[in-house]
Amino acid sequence: MTEEGTATEENPVLYVVRPMATAAKQFAKSLVRPSTVIYPFERLEDPAFREEVAVASGKPIGVGAIWDNYRGVHALNIATCISCNLCAFSCPDLCIEMVTVPGGDPKHPKKCPEIDYGKCSYCGFCSDACPEGCLTMTTRYELATAKRSEMVYSPEKLYEVFRTKLPMNPIRLERPENEDQILLDPPLCIGCNACARDCPTACITMLDVAKPEAKAGEKLPKRIWKEPVVNDSDCVRCGTCISVCPKECLFWGKRP
Amino acid sequence: MWINMGPQHPMTHGLWNLRVRIDGELILDVDPEMGYLHRGIEKISEDRHYNEVITLMDRCCYVAGMAWEHLYILGAEQALAIRPPERAEYLRVLCDEFQRLGSHLMWYAAFVQDLGLMSPFLYGMRDRDLVLDLFQSYTGARMTYEYMRVGGVRNDLPPGFTERARKVLDWLVDRFREYDALCLGSTIFRKRCDDLGVLRANEAVALGVTGPMLRAAGMKRDLRKDRPYAAYDRLEFDVAVADAADVTARYLVRMEEMRQSVRILHQVLDWLDRNPGPVLADRLPRWLGAPYAPVGDEGYLLKRHYPKGLGFSSVEEPHGEAQAYVVNEGGQHPYRVKFRSPVFANISAAKSYLIGYRVADIPPIMGSVDVCVGEVDR
Repeated sequence: MTEEGTATEENPVLYVVRPMATAAKQFAKSLVRPSTVIYPFERLEDPAFREEVAVASGKPIGVGAIWDNYRGVHALNIATCISCNLCAFSCPDLCIEMVTVPGGDPKHPKKCPEIDYGKCSYCGFCSDACPEGCLTMTTRYELATAKRSEMVYSPEKLYEVFRTKLPMNPIRLERPENEDQILLDPPLCIGCNACARDCPTACITMLDVAKPEAKAGEKLPKRIWKEPVVNDSDCVRCGTCISVCPKECLFWGKRP
Repeated sequence: MWINMGPQHPMTHGLWNLRVRIDGELILDVDPEMGYLHRGIEKISEDRHYNEVITLMDRCCYVAGMAWEHLYILGAEQALAIRPPERAEYLRVLCDEFQRLGSHLMWYAAFVQDLGLMSPFLYGMRDRDLVLDLFQSYTGARMTYEYMRVGGVRNDLPPGFTERARKVLDWLVDRFREYDALCLGSTIFRKRCDDLGVLRANEAVALGVTGPMLRAAGMKRDLRKDRPYAAYDRLEFDVAVADAADVTARYLVRMEEMRQSVRILHQVLDWLDRNPGPVLADRLPRWLGAPYAPVGDEGYLLKRHYPKGLGFSSVEEPHGEAQAYVVNEGGQHPYRVKFRSPVFANISAAKSYLIGYRVADIPPIMGSVDVCVGEVDR
């Protein structure tokens, strides 16, 4: 199907020599400034290597300080985790399980995320959702193991990653000002204290409400005359109160 | 005689099978078979929160993840009646055009390797790495970005990004000249590719072929111009067109598209420097998913009225025109998501541009189609 004549007729030697001249130029350049990283010996997350790269400016390689926000293995600061469950809720792959760690009281066990890296897709939704900034992603990316069970990182193992002080993702998402809030449907509330008991940040307080006078022939509902009040600035919007409410009187919404 | 080229064949660039009926070296009939990479992405989407579908979109097309994210996001925003801020629109164009550069460089590397040239392959991969590094600097990943959100994008650009991006663009423009010297300057390349795999415009339109293949046939069709989305109506660029409708023409169109991408990117970077602002819309419902955690159905199903709506979006993806249809029947998950893959149509038209050529012509012709099987099978 190829036709003669579409390409200009030239000395056949030029067919080969001209492209080869371009290639030779590239080859000479690559001897001075190679584009490759000799991986086990040079590491992009290594600060010393990064400085070297930055010094060799003009090197056609995009690494440098930018490596910090890489989404790799998570780091968990167990001390600041408030067991709010938001990371597990936001995980699209359902690879986060909340497991009990020592440190809580027997009534309210402290639960921290355990991540199964066999399922994790490194989307970063969990660290975006974390209200306390205790679950972040680091630049660590080497996960090869001999056993499948070792792919599951317990909270203690994630804490070990945190303690290595790897560079962490510097991009922090700001919490929007007009986020949905926890609202109460007062006639449904029975004042049972379940929401205030289970709130991880203890931002719900039960306040007394006035007991109304019973009208003639009417019975007052049988309840405790208290109502939850949510402190919005402390609330992390984890929804625990909504899920534990026995009467479904709490809901998401905007305060008028 | 029927022979199978694929599913494991250097020509296929992914898992698909091209059955070819040959008489000696002559191709009498072809029969493309797809479906080896089917993952049920459309079905999985029905069970996910709106923002969680984005993680699937990156896996949909592994060389043009951003374009597919943009496609889905446009559809979802229309279905949910959410408008992104203007800066987010420009950031999306930035993503799209860098992705076009990355995808076309990947195509260049694969295409010249099909022709048996190893050095240009390495050049293409090396230069694509710069684009991936730029992506990594603001999204956090090299290929699976998860950057766009319904109502905007995840985060703003880090400081110093625009200067770095301009440096990369200048570097790339120099490289395009080198590519042309290596390919168009080589008579061997021209003799191999001229008048090969001809697909004329009328036939291409009839078969639903889109993208660079259609523009290489002289048809000036580009959704960025014809049906502008995001910020494309505010940007200046030309549509790359060639007339020969053969493999060389497709090469020329893609090279010109990369130059136009660089032109668009310079305008976008200038705009982003001048106009700071929010990147995520206000008053997003919580149940969309990230960056919020979608918490339980309880609080919403009882008290909340969900909006309903339909969303249709079409995006000029690096491979062609991709379309998405998002049905929102009320609720936290899309009721149905349907995608239209441009490469599926482009491969399916194989009969009209392969028959009559020789077996040895199949790699260059199919290489010029730019196959990405991830989006074909979804």
